[in-house]
Amino acid sequence: MDPFESIKQTFFQECDELLTDAEQGLLAMEAGDADSETINAVFRAVHSVKGGAGAFGLEQLIRFAHVFETIMDELRSEKMALTDEVAKTLLRAFDVLADHVAAARDGGEVEESRSAGILGEMKALIGADGVEEEADPDEDFGFVPMLVSIDGDDAAPEPASIDFGGETPAFEAAPDATDSAEIWRIEFAPKSEMYVKANEAGLVLRELARLGPTEVTIDGSDVPPLDQLSAEQAYARWTIILTTEADEAAIREVFEFVEDDCVLSITCENSDDAAAAASAEASLDLAALLARVQGAPAAAPPAPVQDLVDVSAMIARAQEVPAPASAAAPRAAAPAAAPTPITRAAPPPANANPAPAPQATIRVDLDRVDRLINAVGELVIQQAMLSQRVTESGLARSSNVALGLEDLELLTREIQDSVMAIRAQPVKSVFQRMPRLVREVADMTGKRVRLVMEGEGTEVDKTVIERLTDPITHMLRNAIDHGLETPEQRAEVDKPAEGLVRLRALHRGGRIVIEVQDDGRGINRPRVRGIAVDKGLISEDQVLSDEEVDNLIFLPGFSTAETISDISGRGVGMDVVRRSIQGLGGRISISSEPGKGSKFTLSLPLTLAVLDGMVVTAADQTLVAPLSAIVESLTPKAEDIHYVGGKDAVIRIRDTFVPLIDVGVALGFRDTPIANGSGVAVLVESEGGGKAALLVEAIQGQRQVVIKSLEANYQQIEGVAAATILGDGRVALILDVDALVTTIRRKPAARPEKRMAG
Amino acid sequence: MTDAINPGAGGQRELIAFRIGDQEFCVDIMQVREIRGWTPATPLPRTPSYMKGVINLRGAVLPIVDLGARLGLAVCEPTERHVIMVVTVGGRTMGLLVDAVSDIINLTDNLVQPTPDVACEQVKSFVKGLFAIDERMVSLITLDRVLMDVEAEAA
Repeated sequence: MDPFESIKQTFFQECDELLTDAEQGLLAMEAGDADSETINAVFRAVHSVKGGAGAFGLEQLIRFAHVFETIMDELRSEKMALTDEVAKTLLRAFDVLADHVAAARDGGEVEESRSAGILGEMKALIGADGVEEEADPDEDFGFVPMLVSIDGDDAAPEPASIDFGGETPAFEAAPDATDSAEIWRIEFAPKSEMYVKANEAGLVLRELARLGPTEVTIDGSDVPPLDQLSAEQAYARWTIILTTEADEAAIREVFEFVEDDCVLSITCENSDDAAAAASAEASLDLAALLARVQGAPAAAPPAPVQDLVDVSAMIARAQEVPAPASAAAPRAAAPAAAPTPITRAAPPPANANPAPAPQATIRVDLDRVDRLINAVGELVIQQAMLSQRVTESGLARSSNVALGLEDLELLTREIQDSVMAIRAQPVKSVFQRMPRLVREVADMTGKRVRLVMEGEGTEVDKTVIERLTDPITHMLRNAIDHGLETPEQRAEVDKPAEGLVRLRALHRGGRIVIEVQDDGRGINRPRVRGIAVDKGLISEDQVLSDEEVDNLIFLPGFSTAETISDISGRGVGMDVVRRSIQGLGGRISISSEPGKGSKFTLSLPLTLAVLDGMVVTAADQTLVAPLSAIVESLTPKAEDIHYVGGKDAVIRIRDTFVPLIDVGVALGFRDTPIANGSGVAVLVESEGGGKAALLVEAIQGQRQVVIKSLEANYQQIEGVAAATILGDGRVALILDVDALVTTIRRKPAARPEKRMAG
Repeated sequence: MTDAINPGAGGQRELIAFRIGDQEFCVDIMQVREIRGWTPATPLPRTPSYMKGVINLRGAVLPIVDLGARLGLAVCEPTERHVIMVVTVGGRTMGLLVDAVSDIINLTDNLVQPTPDVACEQVKSFVKGLFAIDERMVSLITLDRVLMDVEAEAA
C-alpha cells in the first residue's frame, strides 16, 4: 500500500477512537459533569482530529473541528458556562463532526445545510466575533510538525527539527499572496523508485512553479557522507510553499506520475497571516515562540518576560522527555503544563493516547478465530463420537480408556470455552452508536429524551453483537416514536418533560438479556386489539390476556402508527425484529403498564456456535430441544390428556392446562399421534411466556451440541432452528420451540406439504 | 473417458455423465466436488418430495436432492448402490442423489443440440441440450435451478 494511504488509514483508525472518547466526554458533560478533566479530554480529542485532518488537507473537517474546538476551549477556560443547551448543541455538533470524518474517509459529502446549520449554532454560542472562519495560526504549527514526526518513523528522525527551523522563514515569505490565492504546503520526498522510473524531482518542482510563486526548501539531512552514498538511493526531500489560485486537484496533477513513488503531503495553509493577526488576542503562540527560540534566538519575541521564562522552562522539561523526534518533544511536554494559558496554542502530541491500554492485546483476523472455532466444534463432535463408541464397545466405566475419555471431555469443554471467550466482546460497540440515534429520533419527533445505558461491558459473542444493532435500533426508535409522549402530553400527566429510555444489557442464566424500557404511555391495549381484529389477525371474540394482547404487536402485518412515520413505520414492524431475534436463537417479550411505559426484553444465547440441548426421539428421528426453553419434563398419564373441541389436545400439569403438541405430527414426520399415555412430555416456555408441552417418544439425554446452519447450503425450515451433528455422525435437527408452539399450534395440519421427505 | 470432439470447432469441456433410471445425464465437471456412496440422510420436515434430507459431510450439513424426482422422474428409494454427487452451485454445496456415475466425457460445444420442443416445462428448465455418444443420448443439465425453486415454492 502507498505509505501515505496507510498513514491516512491509521489516522482514521485513531479518529474512531478519538471520537468515541469525545462522545463519552460529551455525554458525561450532558449529564452535568463539568469536570475540567472531562472537558479537556474532549478538547484534546477534537484537537487531535483537527490536527490530523490538517496533515491530510481535509478542509471541511478542519473548519468544522476548529469551531468545535473553539467552544471546547471557551468551556475549559471557563469563558463559557456549560449549560444544558451548550451540551446538547455540542452533542449534535459531534454527530456532524463524526459525519465529516466519515465523509473524509469514504469520500462522501456531508450535507451542507446540516453542517452549516450546526456551525451557525455553535458560532452563536461563541458570539459572532469569537471565532475566525479560517484556521488560526497555531493550526499550522499544530499539524505540520506532526506529519513530519510520522515521516520520521519511516526515515531518520533528524529532518523533523530541520524542517521545523525552516518553517518560520517560509511563512514570512508568503505574505504577497493575493486574496483569492491560497497557500499550500507541499512535502515531497521522492523514493528511489521514482528515479528508477526516470522521473526527476527538478521537473516536478518546475511544473509546480507554473501554478504560482513557490518557496522551495530542500532537506538534505538524510544525505550520508560521500563514502556511504549510494548512487541509486534517494536522499533529498523538499518542502514547497506554493501560493496559487489552483485547487488541490491541480496540484496533485503535477505529481500524477510520481505519486506512488514518493511520500507526498499537500496541505492548505489558508490565510495564515490574516489569522496570525487575528490571533493577537490569543495569549501567546507557544509554537511560534518555540520555533523562534530554536531557529533564531537573536530575534527576541515581543512577549512579556514572564512568558519567556515559562517557555524556556517548558523547553527544559521537554528535553527531559524521551521522545523519538526532537520536534515532537516540546509538544509532548505541552499538555503537562495545561493550567498555564500558554498551552492554548500548544497542540497535544499527534499520537496522544489518553487512555493507554492496560493489557497487552493482539489483533487477529476474525477468519482465523472462526477457523479455530470450527475446528474445536469438530473436536467436540469427534470426542462425543469416541465416547459413544467406547460405551458401545462395552468397556467398563472404570477402565483406563473410559477415565481418559472423561478427562478428554473436560479438556474439550475447557478449550471450547476459551475459544468462545476469544470472540466475546462487550456490547459497548453496539451501545455506543445509540446515543446518536436517540438524539436524531428525538429531534425528528420533537420529543425530549434522555437515554440511560447500563451494562455496556456485558460480553457476548461477536457474531451475536454484529446482529444486535438492527433490533436494538428498531426497539429504541419504537420506544421514542410510539412509546414516549410529546413534552406537552407529558406535562398533562405530570411527567417530567424529558422522557427516559433505558437500555440495559445483563447476563442471566447463560444468556444475554437486553432491555429497552421507556416511561411513556405504555401499550394502548384496546387499540392494539382493535387493530388486530380489523386486520383479521385475531377473531373478534377471542379471549386474550393482557400479555397476549401486548404480544400481538409482534404479529406480521401489524403496525399501530396511524400515519407511517419516517422513523419507525417504514413498513418494517416488530415482527421483523422478532424474526431477526429468533434467527439468533433468541426471544423477545414485552411487558407494559398503561401510562407508565413499556419494556422490551431480548434474551439471546451468548454464542451462536454451541447450545445446551435435550436430545429426544420423535417418530424415529433424533431431535434436539434447546435446554433454555425447557421448564420440566414429565410422563403424561392418559387421564391428564383432554381434547378441546374434540381434537386439540391439552394436558393438565398440576392445575393448569397447556396445549400438547405431538412433535412427530407437528413436523410432519408421522400422521398419527403417539398413543395416549405413552411417550414423554417436555414442558417448554416460549418467548412471551406461552407454555406448551411437546410430546416425544423418549428423552435420550442432555448434551452440548454444536450448531450448524441449515441456511448455509439450504434454507430455513419452519419449526427447525438449525442442525447439529451427533455422536454417531448423523445430522440431528434442533427444534425451534417458539415456532412449534406458536405457528404450528395456530395453523394445525393445514399444511399442504405434510408428507415428510425420505 | 469418452471423447465427442469435433476438431477445430471451438470450446471444449469436460462433463461427468451419470444415470438416473435408464436415462443418462451429465453436468460440467467443474461443478462436481466429490462423489460418495449413499449414507442415510436425516429427513427435513415440510420439504418437497425430492428433498431427501441432510447428511454430515465432514462437519458440514449437506442437503441431498433426489435429482430424478427433481427432474420429474420417479422418486428414488436409495440403497447402498446409489451415489451422491457433491456439487457446488451458486456458492452453495449440495448432494445430488443419482443411480450411478457412468463416464467422463470430453465434448465440443457445437455437438450439443438444443432441447427439442417436446420436453415439458419442468424438463426444459433443467436440460440445456442433448448430444449423442455411441448411440446413447445424453442430456446436458444445468444445476442453477435445482435448489432455487425450492425457495420460490417455500416463499
